[in-house]
Amino acid sequence: MKVAIKDNICTKDMPTTCSSEMLRDFTSPFDATVVSLLHQAGAHIVGKTNCDEFGMGSLNTHSIHGPVINPWKSLSSDITPRSAGGSSGGSAAAVAAGLCDVALGTDTGGSVRLPASYCGVVGLKPSYGLLSRWGVVSYSDSLDCVGILTRNTKDIADVFPVLNDYDAKDPTSIPLPVRAKASKLLSVHTFSRWNRDASYLSGLRIGIPQEYFPAEIQSSVVSPIRALFTELRGLGATLVPVSLPSTSYALSAYYVIASAEASSNLARFTGIEYGTHVGPPPEADLTKASRVYAHSRSNGFGREVQKRILLGTYALSADAFDNYFLQAQRVRKLVKRDFDHVFAVPNVLSSSPSEASSQSKVDVIMHPSAIRTAPPIDSGSESLDTYVQDTLTVPASLAGLPALSVPAGTADDGWPVGVSVVGQWGCDELVLRVGEIVQAVTAGRDSQSSSSD
Amino acid sequence: MRGGWQLRRVLPRTRLFSTIGEGGTDRRWPGWEVVVGLEVHAQIKSRSKLFSDSLTSDPSESHNTCVSPYDAAFPGTLPKLNSKCVDLTLRTAIALNSQIQRRSAFDRKHYFYADIPAGYQITQHYAPVAMGGHLDLETGRLVRIKQIQIEQDTGKSTFDARRRVSMIDLNRAGTGLMEIVSEPDMRSPEEAGVYLRTLQSILRSVGSSDGNMEQGSLRCDVNVSVNRPGEPSGTRCEVKNLNSVKFMQVAIACEVFRQIELLEKGEAVQQETRGFDEAGARTFSLRSKEDAPDYRYMPDPNLPLLLLDQSYVDRIRSTMPELPGETRARLLKQGLTVRDVDVLTSVDAGREVGFDGQLGEGAVVYFDAVAIGRNPKIVVNWITQDLLGQLAARNLTFKENPISTQQLGDLVDIVQNGSITGTSAKTLLRHMLDQRSAALPSELAREMSLFALPADGDSGSSELEQWCRDAMAAVPAETAAAKKGHSGVINRLVGRVMKMSRGRANALKAKEVLQSMLRGPD
Repeated sequence: MKVAIKDNICTKDMPTTCSSEMLRDFTSPFDATVVSLLHQAGAHIVGKTNCDEFGMGSLNTHSIHGPVINPWKSLSSDITPRSAGGSSGGSAAAVAAGLCDVALGTDTGGSVRLPASYCGVVGLKPSYGLLSRWGVVSYSDSLDCVGILTRNTKDIADVFPVLNDYDAKDPTSIPLPVRAKASKLLSVHTFSRWNRDASYLSGLRIGIPQEYFPAEIQSSVVSPIRALFTELRGLGATLVPVSLPSTSYALSAYYVIASAEASSNLARFTGIEYGTHVGPPPEADLTKASRVYAHSRSNGFGREVQKRILLGTYALSADAFDNYFLQAQRVRKLVKRDFDHVFAVPNVLSSSPSEASSQSKVDVIMHPSAIRTAPPIDSGSESLDTYVQDTLTVPASLAGLPALSVPAGTADDGWPVGVSVVGQWGCDELVLRVGEIVQAVTAGRDSQSSSSD
Repeated sequence: MRGGWQLRRVLPRTRLFSTIGEGGTDRRWPGWEVVVGLEVHAQIKSRSKLFSDSLTSDPSESHNTCVSPYDAAFPGTLPKLNSKCVDLTLRTAIALNSQIQRRSAFDRKHYFYADIPAGYQITQHYAPVAMGGHLDLETGRLVRIKQIQIEQDTGKSTFDARRRVSMIDLNRAGTGLMEIVSEPDMRSPEEAGVYLRTLQSILRSVGSSDGNMEQGSLRCDVNVSVNRPGEPSGTRCEVKNLNSVKFMQVAIACEVFRQIELLEKGEAVQQETRGFDEAGARTFSLRSKEDAPDYRYMPDPNLPLLLLDQSYVDRIRSTMPELPGETRARLLKQGLTVRDVDVLTSVDAGREVGFDGQLGEGAVVYFDAVAIGRNPKIVVNWITQDLLGQLAARNLTFKENPISTQQLGDLVDIVQNGSITGTSAKTLLRHMLDQRSAALPSELAREMSLFALPADGDSGSSELEQWCRDAMAAVPAETAAAKKGHSGVINRLVGRVMKMSRGRANALKAKEVLQSMLRGPD
């Protein structure tokens, strides 16, 4: 099996640049745990993939290696190149273009799911804490997850168990007994009602969150998803409208938390122990270490990274800490609580699982993965719109939930649309199984429509 | 220069130990009260670092040899808490009567400096592992403990002025530290010195730190303020990085004089952080309160909450080594004299603190092992009078003592049950020290034919009689005199017998045999 690895995951026999000038010539002295596990399982690692610098971006345009062009349509003069999405754009594009069977990405706020959606491939962000982060260059430790991209959901289901193991080197890795307990809860609460081996969905309750169809969403993105919902109902699924009221605050909270952690995690890049060093000019102020580092850091970090470091540094400053960082943590709790309220499977990580009647509860929720299809590469990369791209993916990141983006057809512009399947923490198996059925449904539909091509 | 002037003015005064004068204030600064609090950083004596598997090291290690990718803050590395560091900090907390928090957490303290490669230090800012507590000083003062927190040590940077480069050694980076913060409960430089020494001996006795100030494994910052009696505490200044008890006391005294001088001139003391110039015996400003850096404390997103359940804490409590005061009391209760206890504990004061809470094989532990089932007073005499003396004569430290507790115990036993005489036992002890023999004294005594002849019973009596006959034959003149009733002469004959038997004979028995022989066959 040919596997590509996102360039912010450490490999000892290939450079790990994080698409940053800062690490242009950096090779890690060790392999990430996920890389070692792939080697052990006999995978052939074909190369590293482009990404947004340190995983910060939604379009894969912030990279010393240049932007990733979406391979969905072959380049020609009459087609404006479109973004592959970010930050794992290289991984999604490599899978979509058939350069590899599987690619590893990382997903902090949607960085696997968004490019998967734009490139028409499948992308899983597993439950936080299942896949080891040892060797993954930290952007935001409390949100970063290693993700898997493939063309078929079935292939993810094959690779996922290889990587899904406790790792003593990662202090956030969830111990085996907790994983086992989550599996048990899933069996008791969902698989007792729905036969996962069947190709029909009778017994499965799918929640449709109203907050995930915001005004900014392209209507042509919604149509294939509505069609999918109808087809799933036809297979016996019960569709339940649900509400996740804290969703509108999630994006702001995400950017505060992710930037705060980024400002901390990226403090280590000084060009002293490793990485690109830019010496201070002869007349420079050398009175403080920070003044000396400033030359390497100003040169080594791109605009987007610098922007987030500044934002995060402010959010952690004594005057802003309460109103920004702590407030964001409160919102994060509310977002988690929203999800716990709607899922039939209790959250094994919550200290007080809500015991409300499971009558109105759902097994998974489904929503569009993105508010639009892949945007053209040269437009809007500096506007606020790029941040709005993350609106639909960020809540599952804040709550640490498994989320899978599966191709759900194409929009009017002929570019792919993804649908996200989100489950309770530890319900990755459920999410993957539902994803397989979704993909079978949409693939069947595509083959009918494309037979006319 | 002002500093030089202060040196002459201060040093003679700080030598005065007498502190409290008339009206409850110190004779050095009449009419003023001094308030001192200490922040002590003690390196945790763990085998490996706080968050990585690399070994801890002392300053003699060649630089940058105990460094893992995590210690050098390589991208992709993550911390992994060393539970040994937690255990040792809990021992410290228990020894200081501090309340162990069932729930504590790690935070990042951010600042850019060459010796902290991650750009932040992991510490416990918001929720320390232990709160409260107290340390009783022999002066009668009770110093309250504010809190104890676990944190990472930094690397070391050295500036090479000639080449104008800074050199970074990361061997120390990431070593576990305990920060022990006292309340401002001390009232003189000397009291702060007593506090520091007492704390040092407690850390050593529980094995949590070797508390070595020369090596830098114990460092302290002091907070000093002065006020008029009856008035609230004055504005405090912090003097950082004091590396010996002596310099700490001098620094406090210098700072007291500086603050008093300002106040007496009608100026205010500014709250600030100061350094101490050892050579100039003066403190100097490092930064004012306004310049205090914003460390942007953030809960560490990698390290989970440190949750300690009661059974865990109970386990640490039940395996706590004895504290110095408890040891003294117990030994005195066993009937040891104050002098014996002083000797044993002073031997232990210099012992090495083992890694991960392994206590060094000190003299008290040695005594305890030998004293099991034996008379403690006899055992302690063998240790303090014979063993320690023989070790000293050979320039050996107690750590180098080759005599096992089984060997010494056996030696005491065979003396006590009369198998060998005290004289033979001393010979045997010297022999074991010189030959480094691992054999038990009872075996050695057999090999060397040192067994005493029994004081009663028949076995050996023929041998004794033979020696007596030989002794009388060797000195016919004395024997004749003795036969005539010169009782003094018989002791010389006994002496000969003892010599011939190499100390094995029982002198009283020999005298009896000689007397009966001298009386002659009836």
